[in-house]
Amino acid sequence: MVLFVRRARPRLDVLRTARPDGRTDEPGVRARREVVQVLGQRKLFQKAVPGVMHATIFWGFLILLPTIAEAMLAVIDPAWTLPYLGHAAWFAFLQDAFAALVAIAVGVAFWIRKVQRPDRFRGSHMREADLILLTILGIVTSLLLWNASRIALGYADHPSAAPVANALSGLFSGGRGTEVAERILVWTHLLLVLGFLTYLPRSKHLHILTAAPNVYLAKNAPSGYLTPLRIDLDAADADVRFGAAVATDLTRKQVLDLYSCTECGRCQEVCPAWATGKPLSPKLLIMGLRDQVVAETSAIVAATPSGTVELQPLVPNAVTDEVVWDCVTCGACVRECPVDIEHVDTIVDLRRNLVMAESRFPPEAGAMLRGVETAEDPWGQPASARTDWARGLDDVHVLEPGDPPPEVLFWVGCAGAFDERAQATTRSIARLLIAAGVEVAILGPRERCTGDPARRMGHEYLFQILAEQNVETLNGAGVTKIVASCAHCFNTLANEYPDYGGDYEVVHHTELLSTLIREGRLAPGAGADGTVTYHDACYLGRHNGRFDAPREVLHGAGAATVEMPRNRERSFCCGAGGARMWMEEGGDARINETRFAEAAATGADTVAVACPYCFVMLDDAAKASGSSVRVADVATLLAASVLPEPAT
Amino acid sequence: MTTAWVYAELAGGVLDGSAAELLTTARTLADEVAAIALGPGATATAADLGAAGAATVYASDDEVFASHSGGPQAFVLGGLIEEHRPSIVLFPGSYEGRDVAGRVQARTGSTLMANAIAVPAIDRARTEIFGGMTVVDVQLQGPEPHLVLVRPRSVTAEPTGGTATIVAVPAEIPEADLGARLVERHEEAATGPKLEEARVIVSGGRGLGGPDAFAMLDALASAIGGAAVGASRAAVDAGWVPYSYQIGQTGKTVKPDVYIAAGISGALQHVVGMKGAKRIVAINKDPEAPILKMADLGVVGDVFEVIPALTEEIRRRSGS
Repeated sequence: MVLFVRRARPRLDVLRTARPDGRTDEPGVRARREVVQVLGQRKLFQKAVPGVMHATIFWGFLILLPTIAEAMLAVIDPAWTLPYLGHAAWFAFLQDAFAALVAIAVGVAFWIRKVQRPDRFRGSHMREADLILLTILGIVTSLLLWNASRIALGYADHPSAAPVANALSGLFSGGRGTEVAERILVWTHLLLVLGFLTYLPRSKHLHILTAAPNVYLAKNAPSGYLTPLRIDLDAADADVRFGAAVATDLTRKQVLDLYSCTECGRCQEVCPAWATGKPLSPKLLIMGLRDQVVAETSAIVAATPSGTVELQPLVPNAVTDEVVWDCVTCGACVRECPVDIEHVDTIVDLRRNLVMAESRFPPEAGAMLRGVETAEDPWGQPASARTDWARGLDDVHVLEPGDPPPEVLFWVGCAGAFDERAQATTRSIARLLIAAGVEVAILGPRERCTGDPARRMGHEYLFQILAEQNVETLNGAGVTKIVASCAHCFNTLANEYPDYGGDYEVVHHTELLSTLIREGRLAPGAGADGTVTYHDACYLGRHNGRFDAPREVLHGAGAATVEMPRNRERSFCCGAGGARMWMEEGGDARINETRFAEAAATGADTVAVACPYCFVMLDDAAKASGSSVRVADVATLLAASVLPEPAT
Repeated sequence: MTTAWVYAELAGGVLDGSAAELLTTARTLADEVAAIALGPGATATAADLGAAGAATVYASDDEVFASHSGGPQAFVLGGLIEEHRPSIVLFPGSYEGRDVAGRVQARTGSTLMANAIAVPAIDRARTEIFGGMTVVDVQLQGPEPHLVLVRPRSVTAEPTGGTATIVAVPAEIPEADLGARLVERHEEAATGPKLEEARVIVSGGRGLGGPDAFAMLDALASAIGGAAVGASRAAVDAGWVPYSYQIGQTGKTVKPDVYIAAGISGALQHVVGMKGAKRIVAINKDPEAPILKMADLGVVGDVFEVIPALTEEIRRRSGS
């Protein structure tokens, strides 16, 4: 026990001195998550066999907790046991059943690791895992044998309630030898348990203590939301912080994330960067950061609150620059992680430091940042060209200052305004809304980039400026409801602008269109030819839970649909998120081509998208592959079906 | 008396333009200004350095400085600093300047400020943060001399027309301080002018169908004379030409007099890199291609017919 405390102490000290992140609001939501995700093991069941295996060991661990106290009493005197529980037949049964089930589960775990050998374990500490599993097996086996010896000696109140131990009791004669064996077994059991406890704080198995608080501290907001890093240039020098440079910059949750990782590799398995041969694996990222935090523990504790102990920069020591820039911020890792590690937020924090403090980022992305800074759009196009797409659509109303507030504002987005492919989507949306009798009001030249690409790139200051300017424009125009066509704009407007004083009801165009169909304001026309497969945009789907509206619109368009193997929450990114749209891609394969191949393999004739980034990426992939499969926005497919004249 | 030093970079025995700029800055900071020039041809540059404002030039013509990367320079400069104790040393923000300054900092343990755009006072350096959105002055603290890397072309050189005293410095470098030896110099062989500087660019996209078709563009470029060959991201992503060819959002931004786009559809990613061209000629078989809308001259046709015919016609008219 003393050893455990001594070994756990440094971990706790680092957590105590880490930056607070105020993740304690809405305790009800947090408690519910604790029940569903920790007690209910929900995310573990995303994989059937490993899920059942883990849940068995976890529930067994809970049920067998009183057994430790039982063994502690029994080592003093074989006759001592817990009041009530030590004599209850039902508890004897549960203890027996779960000890046996855990033993079986350990066997399954070994089967997964040694026979099945999934790729997600690549880079994990396999030996350590073996040792942990063997210790668990030793704990439950010694428990069963100890109980068996007690049955043989007649100490047990309810031998038949413990069928496994009862069957094993035949191994013991019940004589003097059994008495000795009973002593040895209870000591073995207890020492294994205590040894395990002592081993824990320095092992990847620490998650049995950290997972529950980590889940409690997880983000309540949609996963697409990033915590602001307020930059006030007039503040005292000491208060200005530009993201995570060294270990002491990490927040409490970020450190707890590191201690909570068991290296299961579920994140690695779903990561688009890893899947296409890039160095980034969310698991290896967390392990790299953890190793550095562990190595620097004493310096970290000494350095806070304002010491000057030398800490090594996290990049490139714990993780390389390339790893940090490979991330598409799709959130597949976060969504998959059973203990709610927030890889993406940490990556963005590392980027913030690299971009704002060191000006260190892939050079080709510089044009995007310059464009956003100087022209307020990533491509550096003139603001006056923002209405070019609306030529010939006389019913599109460009809001002038002083105009009455619009019922709903159509947020076109930079891609929707400037990219010729996305313009087709924008026109389709506008024509559909006009046909349904919805006024199409846009800000036109007064619209600016939401700042999303700059923010995901780590340029929080630039994002902050744009957010404040846009909020001022939107509030000045009396906007209360916004329809956005870009999934990234949608996420930023809906989830992130409230931090900057912009509270609006934000819907995505697929939501508005599906409502109009449901209300009968858009009458379904002729069904589209061929089948359609819908590609979920990360920032619409996984990050914000909008899965059904785009599918309803496709249904409204009369399309026959087919799903890709990876869909909805587990959709695979197009490769453009996290400002990757403006970076060159390395690795063995391209993310967009990988995803397009998956779409084409469904046999669909059309890949439907709901975000201009996905559109550009998948359309590029379609052209590169020479495939005849076409890529089109859901709105364009609906327009082709509903509107009398062909879309232009 | 304050002393400011300038690390004068030589490239192949020729003085780099940064030295005169740094000397101009150094003169505003100190009573006494000296330059350090190391490598073959160094002594010969003393006249230029004197004219640019150096009163003293510490020089060595030893070959060891050209055959190693930064190590010998840092050793000699470290020794000179210890001996003469200048208040500040200015380095050009070049590859060599950064290399030497970093090594000197490791020797002297003094403060090194990188990426300065000006040095307003002997203990102050000016730099840009937030990608150039905000300019800040940084206080230089710690033991002297302060080492400052100044971005090239931040100031205009103003010669004084003076002369400098040459102080020859020995180049006896211990083996351990030599560092990495320069084995080979290799310059990327580029045919034709640089993309950013070319007056005419012939650029190819996915419509070319494969790497072989770029030979056709090379032929056209050489027929025009002095034209450069570029590509869209699609052609680069397909692996037909190297990334150095790429024009667009994530590649180069070009502003030639004439831009000939062959088999390029005109995606926004590409257009932002070439829309500054004075005249755009586009050849595309798809009449709906966006590039045709922005072209001054749009040819709807097969690049494999149009380009060779154009090349032939140019050759005929230029009489070659």
